[in-house]
Amino acid sequence: MLTAVKNQVRVCALSIKYNIMREMLNQVTFLMNVTFMILNNASILIQWFILFRLREEIGGYTMREIMVLWGLTAASFGLSHILFARVYSLPELIVSGKLDSYLVQPKSVLLGVMTSSTDVSAIGDLLYGVILLMVAGLSVRGFLFSLLFVVTGAVTLTAFALLLGSLAFWFVRVEMLSGQMVMGLVSFATYPDGIFRGISRFLLYFILPVGMVVYHPVHILVRFDGGMLFTVLVYACLLSAAAAAVFYRGLRRYASSSLMEARM
Amino acid sequence: MDRQEKPAGLNVGVLEKRWRLPGRKYRVIYRSVLMENLQYAANIALGFFGYFVFIFIFVKLWDYMYRSPGELIAGYSKEQMIWYVMMTEMMWFGSNASAVGRQVKTDIRGGNIAYLMNKPYHYTLYILAKYTGEWSIRLPMYAGLAAVIGTVMVGPVPGFRLITVPAMALCIVLGLTINAVFKICIGLLSFWIEDSSPFQWLYDKLLLVVGTVFPVEIFPKAWQSFFKLTPIYTVCYGPAKLIVDFQPEKCVEILAAQGLYLAAGCILMFSVYRKGVRKLYVNGG
Amino acid sequence: MGIHLGVWNMAVLFYIIRKLVLREDGVMQAIHVEELEKTFRVRRKEKGMRGSVQAILRPQTEEIRAVKGVSFGVDAGEMLAFIGPNGAGKSTTIKMLTGILYPDGGRATVLGIDPAKRRRQLAYQIGTVFGQKEQLWTHLTPYDNFRFFGAIYDIPEKETERRIGELAERFELGEFINTPVRNLSLGQRIRCEIVASLLHKPQVLFLDEPTIGLDPVVKESVRSLIRQMNREFNTTIFLTSHDVGDIEKICKRIIIVNAGQIVLDDSMEHLKYHYLHKKIVEVKMQEETALPQVEGITILKRKGTHARLEVDTGRIEIGDALRRINASDVEDINISNVPLENIIMDIYKAEGRDTAS
Repeated sequence: MLTAVKNQVRVCALSIKYNIMREMLNQVTFLMNVTFMILNNASILIQWFILFRLREEIGGYTMREIMVLWGLTAASFGLSHILFARVYSLPELIVSGKLDSYLVQPKSVLLGVMTSSTDVSAIGDLLYGVILLMVAGLSVRGFLFSLLFVVTGAVTLTAFALLLGSLAFWFVRVEMLSGQMVMGLVSFATYPDGIFRGISRFLLYFILPVGMVVYHPVHILVRFDGGMLFTVLVYACLLSAAAAAVFYRGLRRYASSSLMEARM
Repeated sequence: MDRQEKPAGLNVGVLEKRWRLPGRKYRVIYRSVLMENLQYAANIALGFFGYFVFIFIFVKLWDYMYRSPGELIAGYSKEQMIWYVMMTEMMWFGSNASAVGRQVKTDIRGGNIAYLMNKPYHYTLYILAKYTGEWSIRLPMYAGLAAVIGTVMVGPVPGFRLITVPAMALCIVLGLTINAVFKICIGLLSFWIEDSSPFQWLYDKLLLVVGTVFPVEIFPKAWQSFFKLTPIYTVCYGPAKLIVDFQPEKCVEILAAQGLYLAAGCILMFSVYRKGVRKLYVNGG
Repeated sequence: MGIHLGVWNMAVLFYIIRKLVLREDGVMQAIHVEELEKTFRVRRKEKGMRGSVQAILRPQTEEIRAVKGVSFGVDAGEMLAFIGPNGAGKSTTIKMLTGILYPDGGRATVLGIDPAKRRRQLAYQIGTVFGQKEQLWTHLTPYDNFRFFGAIYDIPEKETERRIGELAERFELGEFINTPVRNLSLGQRIRCEIVASLLHKPQVLFLDEPTIGLDPVVKESVRSLIRQMNREFNTTIFLTSHDVGDIEKICKRIIIVNAGQIVLDDSMEHLKYHYLHKKIVEVKMQEETALPQVEGITILKRKGTHARLEVDTGRIEIGDALRRINASDVEDINISNVPLENIIMDIYKAEGRDTAS
């Protein structure tokens, strides 16, 4: 059992390593992608400088909390897209029948698919996020916690995308929708939760898991709360389990490319 | 009807031989893409979600920022401020301009350009016509959506008069076209560099941060005069400003600026394309 | 504790029984398929705008029965060609046997394992080569790729090295084993694909159009590799191909499917014997002479001193037929069988007509 897990981890690690190696073949493109993504993210700070000229705090956040919020979101998004970029294009793979080669390998199909590509610019996102967390003035303990939240955030985000993407086994049109939902989640995750009240607040904590990805972590970093930490960790695990279950249930309906051949 | 259903690239060559207005082939490209896209209307509707999220966030944000009902920020009332974002985002989502840059990039990098550039049309205009066909479906749908959620969430645009609609529409069309021209220019950089998308991001972010989420007036005075020189003024700020606060003299000014920008943009686009093609011939792709 | 022991005992018992069964039979069937079924649901769209609107409002689906109750068995070490026209259901079958698709009905076991239930366990024992799909990383060298596959199949590093060396020598990969795959020719690449799928010493090898797009020389070397695999390791070969050469030169048995059903399951020799009661005789005479007008001989083509005749050996013995030709006049003569390609085409056509009506 233990060796099986070890072997699986080894294969995933190799896969991720090779993905990144492939992207680094052209160093100019690689470096340009990474640096421009950092600049790209940094430009958003202008928006917040402008807004904080108008008010000293927005939704209970000062510039410092905004930096933590952005740091967590960018780093989680980055980490998830470096390791598991394929999850975000899963519906396309399912619909066009491109899972075959993962299905004939004696390893987990899900992990094989997930780790089969990477997104270079996400390295820029991750770096930017971590830099922001470093300069946001957290204590050492706070910074270490924030790294933990980057991981839980990445896991939750990936699981959410996987859950929606796997619906493509049933509904062809999911492709658009799942992308929209993920981007929607990320959009919410870059604004202070204090501006949302009532139903929208409920929505952000229970339907789109923005609360679990970033709002709770920000609150915990501002003032530690063990219960909240526990919730975040458990939620990440549960959502992952649910997403994997949906994926494997759907895999029984997988049609390979036979559907497209039949259409001709 | 039959003729239009064929792929665009195939029958324009035939049309060329007949006596027609030179713009005709681009109209055919435009129309065939339009037909194709009607079928994807349902997909577009699914994209409403992203738009709604953005608008929702900004309604909440400005709700929070405006403390008292009559307050003005940078000369805008709360309603105007929200409608401003709603209009710029409508153009953003309704135009899906990133598709143009991506198309040019994949055409050039994928080698498809070799076939496209020998067709009896100008590649850049072909892309432009194709893209215009795409947004002709999307934009009205987003406009409808914006009108509905705007009216429900913040109430009608203050001081809106129906008579000004044609001028606004013209402004929007010009704005989107200028934007597309610039995105094509950036896409054409793919002749020289492997991946032009980082430049697309930066250009997009400039539009987004400076021109889309806020009106230019909110920035410090010194920045404003600089922004007026960038495409922001003609692409997003101009049209949206007219919608939330229509003034005839402002309209004339913006249209004039758009004319200038469009001309300059096209000259740039043609010359970059010519240089790129020459480079392709010399190096053989 | 009790439960654990129970499970353990059952596992041991199962193992013993399987061993006994195997010993009794001598050989276990490598592949066993019973009444296998697969149906796809396809969305249907009428033509034109109205159809598009309708497809959105009221989507209509249509069932396509890709595989309709297919049964067959393959013995260990057999070399089988599984062929049929496009859309006949052969890829669907191969995908059900390798665990890619879930069957809708019937039963399939490969090496005694149900592909749908124990996909991973089966994957260790079988190899797959899909000619049109690539499983190699193109930016890596074949060597690095093989090491990756070694990791996938849990082969210890030393053992991986040893097998790479062995296979590289046998398949002559030496000169390009350290060149990135994207710089290899198609022929070199497909050889690497095959080696990658042999690294874990599979007992059954599934090949889906392995020689597609290759030049004749490479085709021949791929075929001899496959034969060699079978000879040395007794690997069962399950091959689909449109290339008659592949079928003729590799396989001893042939299954033809059409419209989701098996229409022929026969040994290669028997197929030829059965269908080959016709011989083609080509002659070149010294001068234009009259050709024999006998029952059983048809003149296919005649041009000057050249003639092509078809001899139906069911009606006239080949010796008799030859005796009718004036031997002293013959400048050149060539007797051949009807090409296998024609035979297969005839079977496709005949069966296609049957099932269509």
